[in-house]
Amino acid sequence: MENVLEVRELSKQYTKVLAADKVSFDIKKGEIFALIGPNGAGKTTTIRMISTLLTPTEGDAVVSGHSVLKEPEKVRQCITYLPDEAGAYKNMTGKKYLRFMAGLFSTDIDTINKYVERAENICGLGDRLKDKIGSYSRGMIRKLLLARAVMTKPDLAILDEPTSGLDVLNAIEIRKMIKKLAADEGMSFLLSSHNMLEIEFVSDRVGIIAKGHLLVSGRTDELKARYNAANLEEVFERVVNDNEIL
Amino acid sequence: MKFFNLLKKELAELLNLQTVISLAVTMAMLMFLGSFMSSTIEEAVKQEYTVTLCDRDKTDFTAELIETLRKNNAIVSEVTSDSEDFSQLLSTAGKDSIIVIPQGFTEDLNAGKAPELISVSEMRSAAMMSNMSNNNDGAERLIRNCISNVFAERAGLTAEDVQLINAPVSISEYTVVKDKTSEVSAEEVMSNIMMQNMLLPIIVFVLIMMTSQMLMSAISNEKIDKTLETLLSAPVSRTAVLGAKMLAAAIVAMINAVCFMVGFSGMMSGATDSVKAEFEGTAINEYIPIDSALEQLGLTLGGVDYVLVGIQLFLTIMICLSVSLMLGALVNDTKQAQTMVMPLMFAAMIPYMISMFADVNNLPIVIRLIVYIIPFTHTFSAIPNLMFGHMGIFLIGLVYQTLAFAVCMFFALKLFKSDKILTVSLNFGQKSKFKKAKKNENQ
Repeated sequence: MENVLEVRELSKQYTKVLAADKVSFDIKKGEIFALIGPNGAGKTTTIRMISTLLTPTEGDAVVSGHSVLKEPEKVRQCITYLPDEAGAYKNMTGKKYLRFMAGLFSTDIDTINKYVERAENICGLGDRLKDKIGSYSRGMIRKLLLARAVMTKPDLAILDEPTSGLDVLNAIEIRKMIKKLAADEGMSFLLSSHNMLEIEFVSDRVGIIAKGHLLVSGRTDELKARYNAANLEEVFERVVNDNEIL
Repeated sequence: MKFFNLLKKELAELLNLQTVISLAVTMAMLMFLGSFMSSTIEEAVKQEYTVTLCDRDKTDFTAELIETLRKNNAIVSEVTSDSEDFSQLLSTAGKDSIIVIPQGFTEDLNAGKAPELISVSEMRSAAMMSNMSNNNDGAERLIRNCISNVFAERAGLTAEDVQLINAPVSISEYTVVKDKTSEVSAEEVMSNIMMQNMLLPIIVFVLIMMTSQMLMSAISNEKIDKTLETLLSAPVSRTAVLGAKMLAAAIVAMINAVCFMVGFSGMMSGATDSVKAEFEGTAINEYIPIDSALEQLGLTLGGVDYVLVGIQLFLTIMICLSVSLMLGALVNDTKQAQTMVMPLMFAAMIPYMISMFADVNNLPIVIRLIVYIIPFTHTFSAIPNLMFGHMGIFLIGLVYQTLAFAVCMFFALKLFKSDKILTVSLNFGQKSKFKKAKKNENQ
């Protein structure tokens, strides 16, 4: 199966901190890949480099054949990014927000209408889309943003902590939505989370990252068998101990 | 197309219903203030020839005096009271100023002594305009003239002699600006160009404050709400995102400027028209009309001058936008966003205050140079420099502002196109997260 994303020895050095150190992994078409690790592990930095928001100090990432270093605009055409705890423009209505974002991906009115219609169906907010986003609950905003992130059917949707701050029911709904989009429409996802049980449920493969190092990656069941662990949390603990990190 | 989508969004964010209403209210209030000032000044002018008299002397002379006041177009109303309590006297008469002719007034006059006249005015507040309508100046002047005439008559002088004594020299006033001369008093020229020059600094100040606040909020809100990351990861160039924000802020600032200009013009014309009406028929206007005098002196601005002022105004806004962009990028929360306006506010306030009270070009050289380092100073002094033919200083200012804009824009673009737009922040009194992390590591 073809790779949608190829990350090759991606590093990011801030003035005093090496936030990502030679991180490498691939994501195949229709695959859900999750980067897991504690806060400050380097998940967001890695994701931001793939999203072309940050420039890598070393290495490269190729999305659908386009390098983040050489063709960042083409990369942005193939991806969508949902930041952790992202907000939306409070003075806009949900529908206007979707239309505005769709207008950044296409200049064709028919395509824009198609994107908006798709987002409306996915988010399930119904008539509330006519209300200003300022009146939405956190769960509603997250659903709106997730619908925005997938409405263009990107090759790769990058979701940073997709369910952070949500109650259990909303979190379950969003996880199901991600799985369905990958299975039915062949969309690829790069997720990041420190909630390992959530990742175990939603992802096909995981990468465990700590202090900027990608320590191990593989299918959840494979990792559990390799480290003789009952769940991903135990896998993470053993990987970290084996590598004498933390 | 994508740029217009961005611009539309930015304009919608900046020009919401709240902004439009507050703008309309401000404009209406300024216009109202103008008409209020106009009516107060008109009332004051009218009041100068309205007098309330309490004649306690009741002689033929005082009756003749009152008649003379009436003949000189004064509206005289008489009240009768023996009260020595002036407060009570005013409240009984229902007036806010009154002139009392005490008993023995005519007797003193006949004895060749200067008679005493009591002038009472009620003060209701410390506000400049609130006490304009309650003074006895006009009436006192008329009575003084009448008494002078009586003394003059007794000394065998005619009214013409008295006039000659009061104005023994006929003064022809000329004002010179560089090599141009006009028969007009410098005082009148000053009062006219001062009114004219007051408007631009106000507009510039409002523009600087509005523009900086708007762009800073636009950038900082995107950072605080984490919408900036979403926007920058979309398939649009950062230059387009930045350009849309700057253009929208500039458009809204211009709309603000026009509204303020209309409002302030209304307010100023309310005040100046009444003052002009007051001057009409007085000696000052016996020279040539002030507009012609200003033209003769080269103190009027032509089309080219207005274009030059416009260019400088544009550069001012652009400098302001690029500095705001950098400051907005440093902000982490709403409180910081409010604080970050301060440097720009001071940079605008210093030349604004100086230009209100002094000519920058007349300041000591060191202070002048320091003040001219602030790019906004050149805009505040643009009109006086053009009016008085200081083209060299004006053009140096224009070049300096262009350079300042180029430098600020270079750094703003560099910041916006780099990682720093997402990573840089100000941590006043806080240790950086990297330092904290290192400290934790060592422990």
